[in-house]
Amino acid sequence: MARDERIAELEEKARRIRAHVVRIAGMSDCHTGGSLSIADMLAGLYFHTLRVDPGLPGWEGRDYFILSKGHCVPALDAALAMRGFFPEDALTTHLQLDSIISGHACARVTPGIDVSTGSLGHGLSIGVGLALGVRMDGAANRVFVMIGDGELQEGSNWEAAMAGAHHKLEGLVAIVDRNMYQTGPTEEMMALEPLADKWRAFGWATRVIDGHDMAQIVETLDALPFEKGRPSAIVSRTEKGHGVSMSIHQHMNRFDEAQTATMLAELGQGGGEGGRN
Amino acid sequence: MGEILSRVHANNLVRWAADKPNAVVFSADLTGSTEVDLFRDAYPGRFFSFGVAEQNMLSFAGGMAREGFLPLVHTFGVFIYRRAYDQVAMSVAYPNLPVRMFGFLPGVTTPGGATHQAIEDVALMRSLPNMTVLDCGDATDVETVLDAIETIPGPVYVRMLRGEVPRLFAAAEPLRVGRSRLVHAPASGPADLAVFSSGICTEEAIRAVRAMADRGLAIHHRHVSTLKPFDDPAILAAAVEARCGVITMENHVVVGGLGSAVAETLAEAGVGKKLVRIGLADTFAHGASKAYLMKEYGLDAAALIRRAEGLLGRTLNIGEADLAAVRIEPVHSMAKAEAL
Ligand SMILES: Cc1ncc(C[n+]2csc(CCOP(=O)(O)OP(=O)(O)O)c2C)c(N)n1
Repeated sequence: MARDERIAELEEKARRIRAHVVRIAGMSDCHTGGSLSIADMLAGLYFHTLRVDPGLPGWEGRDYFILSKGHCVPALDAALAMRGFFPEDALTTHLQLDSIISGHACARVTPGIDVSTGSLGHGLSIGVGLALGVRMDGAANRVFVMIGDGELQEGSNWEAAMAGAHHKLEGLVAIVDRNMYQTGPTEEMMALEPLADKWRAFGWATRVIDGHDMAQIVETLDALPFEKGRPSAIVSRTEKGHGVSMSIHQHMNRFDEAQTATMLAELGQGGGEGGRN
Repeated sequence: MGEILSRVHANNLVRWAADKPNAVVFSADLTGSTEVDLFRDAYPGRFFSFGVAEQNMLSFAGGMAREGFLPLVHTFGVFIYRRAYDQVAMSVAYPNLPVRMFGFLPGVTTPGGATHQAIEDVALMRSLPNMTVLDCGDATDVETVLDAIETIPGPVYVRMLRGEVPRLFAAAEPLRVGRSRLVHAPASGPADLAVFSSGICTEEAIRAVRAMADRGLAIHHRHVSTLKPFDDPAILAAAVEARCGVITMENHVVVGGLGSAVAETLAEAGVGKKLVRIGLADTFAHGASKAYLMKEYGLDAAALIRRAEGLLGRTLNIGEADLAAVRIEPVHSMAKAEAL
């Protein structure tokens, strides 16, 4: 397939992830902003990069993906469903009794999720341990950890960053969703800049990209690992709520029926069945 | 149902802090969620935003307290005692510094699931030397807790309620540290059962106790807001009198909380009463509505009745409809004769 077509296809996947997030916010409280900002990266990961087998979620050779910012699980659930880990219909059971879709990433109930998260600042440390274990086993699984920028204020991340570089974990990738917001503007709450320099100073091969530019995402993921003998960090510059006007810079939304329809229309995904394939 | 109030802590904190220039409020990126937005807007110079960095926030509080400030730390309970327990223990509790910690989302009051539900905070905080531990159960508790703990020289952990909170206790009867509240006493003579409840379980217990009293049971019910120190003589006295036994009810695991505190008290006093501890039975909870979780994990009025029936060895024939029919008016605890 021509590269342009491939990119266009991934962009369509990202739009559909966003549409699912909007529908979920139409049913229950949903961490929309941070889910929408990672939609493009998740499309790139699940439909281009990650070696996973939806028919066998526990396949030994799989790449691990840890959503450390576990409150953004609606986008991950959408990507997993679209990738075939479970039917897309299940997404409409968000927060319902006995649902496989939960409010924070939950490995206990959702096929395709390896690590439960929701308490910020755990994912990267788990990823470091996992990556070291993989190397000791002589295996080739890669470990991707998606972290929020607000989440990076937790000191545990920097302990993990130190350890990842110390152990030269080339198979480890940290993706920072740099959407500039947490429950409010990140640089006003507790500034992180110069952020890419911090990762470099901690010994990570670091690239800063536009996290909504699918061509850049693909090119960047294809270039992993960025350097021999170092873990890789991608500072993915995004907009919180990207693609959905009512979610711009919002941490949470709950849409009524009319709002849901309007936001889906913005995404060119129409109502109800429009986003299914 | 009595009165329901909204954003009680938000408003009370602003009022309370007006004449206390040394009071500083800390938030770890949960400013709106812990109702300190009003304080931030009223006293911006005394509000500190930490970002998502609870460990730093707790040790930082220890630092500011050394300099004569009174840090009021706000976040979800789990992020105080799970994330920053060592900081709480060594930077705050060991030097016995006056830091006030407000832990929101106690127990099953959040649909956020295991990561957000503070289910073992009382156990951990109670076991920490120098720590005072309180659990708010209604709007009056929330509204008066700041005044109640004002003179405590060391650290205090408060399980806090947010949003819409019912008023169960008369506004003029403030929370008093170390004193439980009498909610219901037998009309005459000794009690069949003593019921001790804390936090949001008290509202459920009130329903169940009324319904059981209507069936002729003699019940002594107390609301316990101070979990440490745990030395209210009224609790032991009520337990000693209760003919058939004692039931505790808490929005917490049954290990280390109210039930354990009562068990320790009874055992040390040599009181051999049967004790039923209602709470999360050594399990993490999942994410769902508060009402659903209270039913699912047996923390509601119906659960209290079931457990009371077990203790009494007979059925009381109280249905959901009977419980729903119980109207809760604010309780005037001091208006009744205290058991002690
Ligand atoms: C340890 C911890 N502290 C606080 C929270 C509450 N919380 C949930 S999301 C959030 C903001 C996270 O911001 P960021 O990482 O930037 O995520 P995004 O903006 O991408 O949603 C906070 C403070 C939490 N889940 N875990």
